[in-house]
Amino acid sequence: MAEKLRQVLSPGRAAGPGEKNAAEVEPPLLLLGGPGSGKTALLFAVALEAAGDGRGPVLFLTRSPLQSLPCRTPAALDPLRLQKIRFQYPPSTRELLQFLCSAHETPGPVPSLLLLDGLEEYLAEDLEPQEVAYLAALLLDTAAHFSHRVGPGQGYGLIVALQTQEERDSGDALHLSLLQRYFPAQCWLHFDTPGPGQCCRRACLEPGGQGPRAEWLVAFQPDGEMTITPWPTQADDPSSNKCSSSRGLP
Amino acid sequence: MSAATLPAVVEELLSEMEAAVRESARIPDEHLLSLKFVFGSSAIQALDLVDRQSITLISSPSGRRVYQVLGSSGKTYTCLASCHYCSCPAFAFSVLQKSDSLLCKHLLAVYLSQVMRTCQQLSVSDKQLTDILLMEKKQEA
Repeated sequence: MAEKLRQVLSPGRAAGPGEKNAAEVEPPLLLLGGPGSGKTALLFAVALEAAGDGRGPVLFLTRSPLQSLPCRTPAALDPLRLQKIRFQYPPSTRELLQFLCSAHETPGPVPSLLLLDGLEEYLAEDLEPQEVAYLAALLLDTAAHFSHRVGPGQGYGLIVALQTQEERDSGDALHLSLLQRYFPAQCWLHFDTPGPGQCCRRACLEPGGQGPRAEWLVAFQPDGEMTITPWPTQADDPSSNKCSSSRGLP
Repeated sequence: MSAATLPAVVEELLSEMEAAVRESARIPDEHLLSLKFVFGSSAIQALDLVDRQSITLISSPSGRRVYQVLGSSGKTYTCLASCHYCSCPAFAFSVLQKSDSLLCKHLLAVYLSQVMRTCQQLSVSDKQLTDILLMEKKQEA
């Protein structure tokens, strides 16, 4: 699912035919970052991008309703795109599991993308490791079922956003390592030195063995507008290892 | 290891076994030895489950599928069809927590029954499939 995120992070970059094929077998993506690092804004931008590509609706799961549009982009103001994003607010892990287990009973157009924001709110219910694994596995299974229903060649996406803590306790670390089994591709949002009047994040995409690692600068203007540019010092040099070592860091 | 895919060496072994079954309806001894080399005693137990036809592929009209494996203890475990998950305690402990096994014997039995085409098939309603997936959760709780 890294390709959809790439499209958001690299606007205007046309996907070549090879990349389109890659998108069909893309692994699900885990979006990681500290509190206020812009995960919801980025996830919402992905939803808008997917809603505009002429395919099925986008399913956006989150425990509590969004209070406002998390990012200001021209696409966010397009009512046709907004209509294609279906928000669901499962209030507990139990309800979330119920939703995923019964997703095949839902009539109507098959979603082209499944997004879950705030997984940490569900994990906070003191889940056993096996329950965390089952939740992750069911997310994959639901996405695989949607993929099966939309048919071959359509591709299908799953992105799950998880808040990581600065001071991670052993329980969180166990949860993360379990989730990483099911989500080999990860995108980390790190805080970066802010420019004047804006707050910046560095987005590191590790596509889990599918394509190159990439970095972007995500800046939020005071008025809420999100701008994304390639990371200035972005090097294709695989020896630059800043990002892949981030796994053990907050 | 990713939970969605097997290591390449295991994928290769399974596809070789599948080809052998297609051609000669049996699995050559060297493949069985490789299986035992990779999976240890789980390989024998998994083959035993396959022999006893303990694996059932359950599907509903929606096209969603799930496997159930009747374990040697008489308990039934649920294995997801799309990624590695089994509800048995060995999967929780050896695979998820200790990471010292690739698969539990039930998941291996699912793969082997696919190769040997010995899966039992069961059709249920969409609602029943939901209950099977949810019941899974209740067993854990």
